[in-house]
Amino acid sequence: MDLVQLAERIADIEARAGADLKAVAAIDALRGLESNVLGKQGSLGLLIASVKQFPPDQRGQVGKLLNEGKTRIKGLLDARMAELQTAAHTDNADDAAAFDPTLPGVAAAMGSVHPVTAVQWEVERLFERLGFTVEAGPEMETEYHNFEALNIPATHPARDMQDTFWLTNGMVLRTHTSPVQHRAMKKFGAPLRVIAPGRCFRYETIDASHENTFHQIEGLVIDRDIGLPHLIAMAKTLLAEVMKREVELRVRPGYFPFVEPGIEIDMNCRICGGAGCPTCKQSGWVEILPAGMVHPNVLRAGGIDPEQWSGFAFGLGLTRLAMMKYGIRDIRVLNSGDLRPIVAPARLGGPIVWPE
Amino acid sequence: MLISLNWIRDFVELPPDLDPRALAERFTRTTAEVDDVRRIEVRACGLIAARVTKVAPRGSAPDPRLQQVTLEVGLGKTVETASIAPDLRVGRIVVYAPIGSSVAALGDIVATTVAGRSSIGLILPGEAIGVEKAFQEAIFLSDEFQPGQPIPAELFDDWVIEVDNKSITNRPDLWGHYGIAREIAAIVHRPLIPYPVVAINELRDTKLPEVPIKITDPRACRRYTGLMVEGVPTQPAPLWMQLRLGHVGQRPISGLVDLTNYIMLDLGQPMHAFDEAMVDRIEVDWAKDGERFKTLDGVERTLTRGDLMIQSRGKSVALAGVMGGMQSEVSEATTSLLLESANFDPATVRKTAHKLGLRSEASARFEKSLDPTHTVLGIQRFIHLARSMYPRLKLTSRLSDGFPSPCPPVTVSVNPLHVSRTIGRDVPLDEARRLLQPIGFELTASDTHWTVGVPSFRATGDCSIEADIVEEIARLIGYDAIAPTMPRVSVRSFAPNSLHELEQSALRYFTTAHGFNEVQGYIWYDAAWLRRLAADPGPCVELANPAAEGAHQLRRTLLPGLLDAVTKNRFHFPALSLVELGSVFEKGDRQDGEFRNLGLVLAQRGKRDEDELYARVKAAVTAWTWQQFTRSVSFSATTSAQDRPWEHPHRTAAMTIDGAPAGRMSVIDVSLRRTMDEHLAAWSIAWAEVRLTGLEGLETLTEPLAAIPSFPLVELDFSILVPKTTRYAEVVANLRHFEHPLLKMVRFVTSYEGEAIPRDRRSLTFRTVLGEDSRTLTDADSDAFRNGFERHLKSYGYGLRVS
Repeated sequence: MDLVQLAERIADIEARAGADLKAVAAIDALRGLESNVLGKQGSLGLLIASVKQFPPDQRGQVGKLLNEGKTRIKGLLDARMAELQTAAHTDNADDAAAFDPTLPGVAAAMGSVHPVTAVQWEVERLFERLGFTVEAGPEMETEYHNFEALNIPATHPARDMQDTFWLTNGMVLRTHTSPVQHRAMKKFGAPLRVIAPGRCFRYETIDASHENTFHQIEGLVIDRDIGLPHLIAMAKTLLAEVMKREVELRVRPGYFPFVEPGIEIDMNCRICGGAGCPTCKQSGWVEILPAGMVHPNVLRAGGIDPEQWSGFAFGLGLTRLAMMKYGIRDIRVLNSGDLRPIVAPARLGGPIVWPE
Repeated sequence: MLISLNWIRDFVELPPDLDPRALAERFTRTTAEVDDVRRIEVRACGLIAARVTKVAPRGSAPDPRLQQVTLEVGLGKTVETASIAPDLRVGRIVVYAPIGSSVAALGDIVATTVAGRSSIGLILPGEAIGVEKAFQEAIFLSDEFQPGQPIPAELFDDWVIEVDNKSITNRPDLWGHYGIAREIAAIVHRPLIPYPVVAINELRDTKLPEVPIKITDPRACRRYTGLMVEGVPTQPAPLWMQLRLGHVGQRPISGLVDLTNYIMLDLGQPMHAFDEAMVDRIEVDWAKDGERFKTLDGVERTLTRGDLMIQSRGKSVALAGVMGGMQSEVSEATTSLLLESANFDPATVRKTAHKLGLRSEASARFEKSLDPTHTVLGIQRFIHLARSMYPRLKLTSRLSDGFPSPCPPVTVSVNPLHVSRTIGRDVPLDEARRLLQPIGFELTASDTHWTVGVPSFRATGDCSIEADIVEEIARLIGYDAIAPTMPRVSVRSFAPNSLHELEQSALRYFTTAHGFNEVQGYIWYDAAWLRRLAADPGPCVELANPAAEGAHQLRRTLLPGLLDAVTKNRFHFPALSLVELGSVFEKGDRQDGEFRNLGLVLAQRGKRDEDELYARVKAAVTAWTWQQFTRSVSFSATTSAQDRPWEHPHRTAAMTIDGAPAGRMSVIDVSLRRTMDEHLAAWSIAWAEVRLTGLEGLETLTEPLAAIPSFPLVELDFSILVPKTTRYAEVVANLRHFEHPLLKMVRFVTSYEGEAIPRDRRSLTFRTVLGEDSRTLTDADSDAFRNGFERHLKSYGYGLRVS
């Protein structure tokens, strides 16, 4: 065989492969054809194996012819393979029928925060947008911080009102988040905008609407010329954003030694819609935001001159707000550790089929 | 505090068609919170007075209390009726419902038969005519009603407004109807009728002797006013008075007791009547330590110095401001009285009342710091009312007044700019005056300031500074009338509270990235649960007044609470991922400490999943520390704490970050799982507890990023067989001694134990990454590296796993 014959043989194989290709309709058959041509025992494969028959000085050219031929044939085969694969994707009716995009995916654990935490975060974000800093204070407090610094001296009747958990070390479990007012004033001075979420404790008998362990968020604004209109505007913004609705407020006098004037801000009850229920003690109103203008003695104790600065403070009942928002009727579920009432069912135990 | 609207109408002319509920709502918005408004509706028709002329017990059946009572019902007629009311004595006058009359509670009264005998009409029990506290008791009448005389129906009906006591602790003036009436008058813009009393001069007859009054400590007894009277025979109070007392929750007792109670509820000034035969002079002094004293309620009490006493001729006769004594009590034999109308130090009264568990109506009022001028006013009122009850009333002393240090009137200077600042609009002088005058404040103005005279009944601590006056103006304008406006504020930057931020981001991370569910538990241990777990709480910070038995120790770890949550949820979920963030407390040598901990628990059905759960907790904590601080957390085997059974005896790790202890991690041993709950024996539980306090100071490092290499990198994997007893950390430490110019990085790939390798061996697979910045590596480079690295491994005796 000389070089010319070789070239003809290659052209033959190429021509036949080209013809055979057209007849092949399945990917497997095409793979068989490829093996019949390019495999070691295939038509071109055998030709490649015969390269040793040529004299050494021709082998370079032989190799070149064979390689070029192989590349061309491979190109034809690959092009046909691509055609067949595309056809397999687009024309496979069985596959299309079996593909169910509505089938749920593998359920991933969603996780959840406690309802009180969820509301706390909402309130924190809201106040951060208003330029407040977020502070925290200890749950085990000194008498000074919990009472004296807040204008509640030892002989004050307010100490009877607040049924306090006392510790044998002389400290107390804080009865409100208000001690953080004093801590923040000492830390930052005026002007000041701070909120302080946290747990509080009162010696109370537990029932569906009373807990001895609950959350508040303290708020404090100290600046020049702060007054009640600012406090009421802030309360309205806060409650409307958390409840995701317009809220109706009732503002009435309230007595807290650390504010003067002291007010109570009530929100219309969401649980009964105002008709009266145990949660709102049949009144249609829920006490949600005890507040007032910071008492001059409290400013002074915090090292702030009441002649120069005025401020308001509030103690948002975070636990009660969470109950309102999520329609929780029994406060006791919140500290029970039972996940069922505090985690939305969709977040636990896989996808819900029905009802949605 | 219960308020009778009939009573209020004595002092304010209210429109007859006034809606009491609307009034209560306005009162809530202006003064103090109203808890309840209810109507007393007796709907009496045809009731008359009747005199008892004969009482015969009916024996034991069917009710041992049953009596056959003969009543004189007017025009000489008598009827016989059955009654179970006590104290029906001959001559007493009762409220009688004859046949044909009716009250709402009982319907129409018809002739009936009781235990076989006919019973005509009914002696009405208290609860049927609006006196709840006189349950099944007759209401006795004074001689204001004669037998057969009709009783006006309108006396019985009333409205009762219940004011929340907690909302008036700062308002001593609101502990009586007159003070409430003053507020209502201001709210409805009607005049307040002057308090009806006898003129003071009538009580100052110098021909009469003075009652000797000696006050040892003027700080404890601010004022003591006394008066002696005679001509107050035992008889019932007028019906209207008994009914009003009944409407506000009092039980009518006797004319004199009812009268002193009435004045207390009228003016807020407690009064006491001593039998003059026992008490004819007054000494106010401290009790002796260990002194024993029998109070009105018949209980003998042991006193200490610090309890203030009323004494007479050295003998204790009353606990000042709290309760009278048994001995000196007024009885039917009493012919002459010594009236006490006094003012005591609130703290002293509160301490004694609290200590003895004796919170009386009187002590509750003295605790609020009463107006000292009310002692005299109370006596003036007493005489005014007593004269209509007791025609033969006669003073036997002149008004005697111990008032060692009268307090000067309180005035407050107010800057009108501060009023407008707080209220959000200008308040002109005239408006302020118009608002304040009805509640007793006098306002005068200079160029820049107002001077406000505080009335004595608001001047005992309630109103003393400018802000107090601003409050009065604001509430009378009405808080609802204040237009909300956002404040103009100064912008400044605040240093963050790093611990709070760390807490919130940790909670967010574990709940979102790893699917944990947050729970919150109490901060005190449950002793019974700890006993069940056989855990020793160790030295705890303790509560002096725990919420419940066995709830006195503050938690030092979150684990007991989390394990309780696992137990509670075990039936409802096949797997649990719990996270809790909260305070724990440690006893200290000098000071007790509070720390913030984060607890994680993974639990699932299947007792062989322990390693998987442990690895997942570990991965979560590791990923978190990297996310949070760009730092690794190190784990080392540690001895489990004996007193903490949730630490597995030999599967507990201590965590450190940057060399500082950060927490513990372990799995729960089967024996403890079984103790928790037998079903949990078939579960696996792993946990970690991280102390966040202290970590907030760790700076978050900026994570360096790598450039794209110029030439391709080569990865070579090595699986090293080591004895199972050899620690990964030790292997890594040894590998690190190998140095090679082409070695860029070594990563851990996996560990393997199983059938493909000897039983006592563990396979650790590492991936080495090789590269050179100036050229592409050749096979020769890889081979040279491989040979060198394998030699290094052999030098430590580590074999290679050949696959």
